[in-house]
Amino acid sequence: MAPMDGTAFAAVSDDAATTSAPIPNPSREVIGCDALSRHFGQVAALDDVTFRVGEGEFLAIMGPSGSGKTTLLNILSLLDAPTSGSYRLDGIETANLTEKDRVVIRREKIGLVFQQFHLIPYLSAVENVMLAQHYHSVADRDEALEALERVGLAERAGHLPSQLSGGEQQRVCIARALINAPALILADEPTGNLDADNERRVMKLLESLRAEGRTIVLVTHNPALGRQADRILRLEHGRKA
Amino acid sequence: MLGRMLWRSVLEGRRRKSLAAITVALSAALITTLFSLSVDVGDKMAKEMKSYGSNIRVSPKAEAMPLVIDGVDYNPLKDQDTLEEADLPKIKDIFWRNNIVGLSPRLAVAARVEGAADTSKPAEVNLVGTYFDHPLALPDDPDYRTGVRATNPFWRVDGAWPNEDMAGAPSEEVLVGANLASRLDVKTGDELTLSLAADSGAAETVKVSGILSTGDAEDDAVVAPLALVQGMTGLEGQVQSVDVSALTIPENELSNRARRDTGQLTAEEYDVWYCTAYVSSIAHQIEEAVPNAAARPIWQVAASEGVVIGRIQVLLLTVSLAAILAAAMAVSSLMNTTVLERSREIGLMKALGARRWEIQALFLGEAAMVGLVGGVLGLIVGVGLAQVVGRSVFGTGIDFQWITVPIVLVVSVATVMLGSILPARSISSLSPAEVLHGH
Repeated sequence: MAPMDGTAFAAVSDDAATTSAPIPNPSREVIGCDALSRHFGQVAALDDVTFRVGEGEFLAIMGPSGSGKTTLLNILSLLDAPTSGSYRLDGIETANLTEKDRVVIRREKIGLVFQQFHLIPYLSAVENVMLAQHYHSVADRDEALEALERVGLAERAGHLPSQLSGGEQQRVCIARALINAPALILADEPTGNLDADNERRVMKLLESLRAEGRTIVLVTHNPALGRQADRILRLEHGRKA
Repeated sequence: MLGRMLWRSVLEGRRRKSLAAITVALSAALITTLFSLSVDVGDKMAKEMKSYGSNIRVSPKAEAMPLVIDGVDYNPLKDQDTLEEADLPKIKDIFWRNNIVGLSPRLAVAARVEGAADTSKPAEVNLVGTYFDHPLALPDDPDYRTGVRATNPFWRVDGAWPNEDMAGAPSEEVLVGANLASRLDVKTGDELTLSLAADSGAAETVKVSGILSTGDAEDDAVVAPLALVQGMTGLEGQVQSVDVSALTIPENELSNRARRDTGQLTAEEYDVWYCTAYVSSIAHQIEEAVPNAAARPIWQVAASEGVVIGRIQVLLLTVSLAAILAAAMAVSSLMNTTVLERSREIGLMKALGARRWEIQALFLGEAAMVGLVGGVLGLIVGVGLAQVVGRSVFGTGIDFQWITVPIVLVVSVATVMLGSILPARSISSLSPAEVLHGH
């Protein structure tokens, strides 16, 4: 069970500022990719990409459609494996992991935020958050409610996804990504389906997380969002631009 | 959490799951009906098959082969071995006494008939003495009556059955076989004179109470009360053979081995065979009970019973298996569609770190609930259907067997599980990267 001492969400509220976040160590590598390639048949979706992300760093991956952003994100989230190259996550070399190990590491170390939210339609907001707890260790309704409260959705905890706006659904998705206090948050176009107001709220949440010391990798088309990151990794035709 | 997800998921997909449950219910109803019939059909069929006649013939061990020419038995009875009529109640005193539906003794002799309208000279016929509906005092049932009306219910009489004298004195009423009556132009109410073919002694005047149709040798014979024939032949208290109608179960490998040689059976096998209502074991017990008797199953009848019942049960089993297979295929199709529709949900669970079995457990749990609901519905419908079929086919309801409940529920759940195997395997091969982000 992830530690739920209240600090994990201390800075994630809409309006809150960082208060008691742990101090990140940027020199400590969370992501380490060397000559990463992913081929689908003859097509190289990702070709010889090397980069590192330190603890507490906010990296934006940008590039046009088909540049390999999603392929890279799938590899980083252990949903896919590279054809060649090396990927270390939090010091663990992932190349030779079994599928079972990848599942364990994914639920222990990674929080995922999707462009299309991907909430279970028949579970309420709080139950969607509890689902991540359930697969991680033990579902705890109070902790899940606390997570929703910190993304400003306490009063909407019992609503089904269909009863929530896009922005609210995305905040539930963020609460779910954070509930197990992962080492890495991977966000795939988290504002892609949101209006300007909700985009601002979600980015504020991510900004708060960064301020808290979370390591964040954001995939986006939007240059304005990319500028909020510490660093931008640009891809073109599967290669670093 | 899994239980909550299971419940919410079932409620969420009510329409498709209702369809699956109805599919299973139809299958379960059919299985319930067929299983109920299958369990009960043995008894019902055995009773039905009794209408085709007796299935055991008891005769003296040293009985000579009968010499029957053109329906007339020329074998003289005198000096032949016979059975004691007084031993007949012993047949109803064996271990399987309650399975003995009836018995009819038989004493046949060649005779001459005079007085028929179509003949100026005596006609030679076979005269058969038997019980029609005769009192036979048993130790535990002094009012017991039996005879060919019980053992041969397929006998048809145009007229009236002979009135057997309760005091044991010969009745003057007889039945004339349909072929013989036609040949001699005998009608109900005619008076005939009977005498033994081998003896020019005393003749008996009898009255034809009815014309008998059996489809067998009796159609060419005169069938009279046993006491009359005994009196004519001087064999009072003697019978040539006894036809026994017994409720039996179909023969199987054990009874076939016993039929060949009981000495080949182990002690345990012998006990099982002896305490089972096989026609062979009942015949064996009759031999033990009646001195000097050889009881032989009439295998045409006994084997037909076994074959017919066995084939019906195989047919019911085949139809049940076909129903299960059809339901499993229908459920498989529905489950496949469900998995496809919910592929993003499955991908999300995998991305969140769900173990494969946890996802499969969710889907199989849903399937089990569908199977259970369908099974209960099918059970209720099937029990009613079995009653309808029982009443229309056998004229009585089917006895409900409680064992049907767990069997049908287990089969229903197993059917859905069987149909869910392939869809569940496709869950394993589903890539979350493909369904969540797309390639």
